[in-house]
Amino acid sequence: MINLSIPGSHLALLPVIIPLTGAMVALLFYGRTKVQGFWALGTMLTSLAASLVLLWTVQNGDGAVVFRSGGWTAPFGIVLVGDPLSTLFVVMSQLVIAMGILYANGSKDSVVSYPFFYPLFLTLAVGLTGAFLTGDLFNLFVFTELLVISGAALTASSDDRYGTEAAYKYFYISLMAATFLLLAVGSLYVSYGTLNLADLANRIASQSPGLLLLPGIAFMLASFMLKSAIVPFHFWQPDFHAAAPTAVSAMLSSVVVKLGVYGFLRMTSLLFVAQAPQIRTILLILGIVGIVFGGLSAIGTQNVKRMLAYSTLAQIGFILVGIGWGTPLAIAAALVFTFNHSLVKSAMLMLAGYVASRAPVKSAAFDVVTGVGKTLPLGGVLFFLGSLGLAGIPPTNGFISKALLFNSGIQSEHYLSLALIGLASILTLIYTMRAFQRIWWVVPEGGGKAKPGGDLLIAPGILIALVLIFGIWADPLVSFATEVSAWLADPSLYIQAMGLLPGG
Amino acid sequence: MEFITALTIGTLFGIGLFQILSRSIIRSLIGLIILANAVNLFLLSTGAYNGLVPAYTTAGGARSDALPQSLILTAIVISMGGTAFVLSMLYIISARYGTSDTEEINGLKN
Repeated sequence: MINLSIPGSHLALLPVIIPLTGAMVALLFYGRTKVQGFWALGTMLTSLAASLVLLWTVQNGDGAVVFRSGGWTAPFGIVLVGDPLSTLFVVMSQLVIAMGILYANGSKDSVVSYPFFYPLFLTLAVGLTGAFLTGDLFNLFVFTELLVISGAALTASSDDRYGTEAAYKYFYISLMAATFLLLAVGSLYVSYGTLNLADLANRIASQSPGLLLLPGIAFMLASFMLKSAIVPFHFWQPDFHAAAPTAVSAMLSSVVVKLGVYGFLRMTSLLFVAQAPQIRTILLILGIVGIVFGGLSAIGTQNVKRMLAYSTLAQIGFILVGIGWGTPLAIAAALVFTFNHSLVKSAMLMLAGYVASRAPVKSAAFDVVTGVGKTLPLGGVLFFLGSLGLAGIPPTNGFISKALLFNSGIQSEHYLSLALIGLASILTLIYTMRAFQRIWWVVPEGGGKAKPGGDLLIAPGILIALVLIFGIWADPLVSFATEVSAWLADPSLYIQAMGLLPGG
Repeated sequence: MEFITALTIGTLFGIGLFQILSRSIIRSLIGLIILANAVNLFLLSTGAYNGLVPAYTTAGGARSDALPQSLILTAIVISMGGTAFVLSMLYIISARYGTSDTEEINGLKN
């Protein structure tokens, strides 16, 4: 069922335009960072409300909300599509970014009082949301570039004296990813003559393979792998997280890396359905390598934030294994895992930043924060619950996502890969408990003394509460993920929602 | 014509990639700019030379495709903004570390 009513269709535009307007207005409050902080929080919460309304509309309307910019219809104009997959990702990212702004409001970093911090944070939200909602391949490139520049600028202004170096490396590597995406755009355009996702899907399915189809697939795969920090292309991630401001690194490791996951889902379910089995095999292998490599590397780190960055490699590996198995239940499991991981990982990184802000020297290295947790009981409880969430122990939502994933593996009879990832998921428990023990259980020689007055705990508290709520009351998320998985299994639904005829 | 364009794209890509791996950060940036130009030229070759008649006229003949040209314009503007940003970051880095050698800009360790 196509939603053609004009007021309804603007709903797909709101999650992009509200933070953008908010960013521009926030620039007018130059110099008054407190006002900027409250304004940014209000803007993000409004945008979150709009995306929840979009989610509700999509869930009840049984289709997609399509916004045609400029009134041009699908193959000729740029469309913003709120279909079940994109609305799930949009709600997830807006929720986490709103919590990030809440954390930044309560943070004592000096980067937060930088006059462009909140506008850049809001443009980060615009870039990410726009990349999820767009229905045009080149528009994806533009929003991705916005995302990368905002993230790099936020990092370059970090308190940490290696912040600029981390931003420089991140920016170079992301520019490589953008170059690959442009090469993919060019390859697909010259092979098929269109860049609209639905039209491209139609032509790829119906015409004989174009000359540059395989290079296009390869370049797109490489670009999304770089964005998602998947194993051969992960080198920017651990260095970046050691030096970025806490609010920014919490966003980057939890929702910005999901852009690659979204790209893989679109590639295997909509664009390149005929080549999907080969792509899925590649993703499966990369996922297993990521889980093992991320888990082992996380055990060997000397810095809490770096450990959590390597942990993201492992968790994204689980999601890739779910996509790689490819059955509807496996994809639903991957979607549930994506949502739950964003909540847990952002909470854990915020807690690591909280501990670092209460340590004698502002650093998250293990030898600095050892024993700091003696006077931080609430932080300890939250960190412990977050570790349970990462490791997948009930009653957290991590358990729901891991159980669903393993269930789908058993059902699709991929026993070898299931055994490998089962063994590797024990590693999560090892490194998180090691961090918890070193910060909260060990008593150092001088007696653990935390500096008074660091960052506030409201934002990680809300996120951990959501982790527990979604762990106990998992039905809405799981049933919606199953609906999304059913939607993805049939690409002609997406194509019809744009007003095009499938097979044309 | 296509052969010369393809040769140019390949050469620029190779030069850009080689310079990105250079030890001086300014050379590295210039390599990135050349690489971006190689990709823009690739986008140009996807359709702009299909014909030599502009898209907006009513004259007959094979038309040159305007869409890749607009893609290139957008990419040029974005890379201009990005280059300005990277230059300011490189200025801060060279002032802070006192060197422009990439081997020595290595503060982030384990």
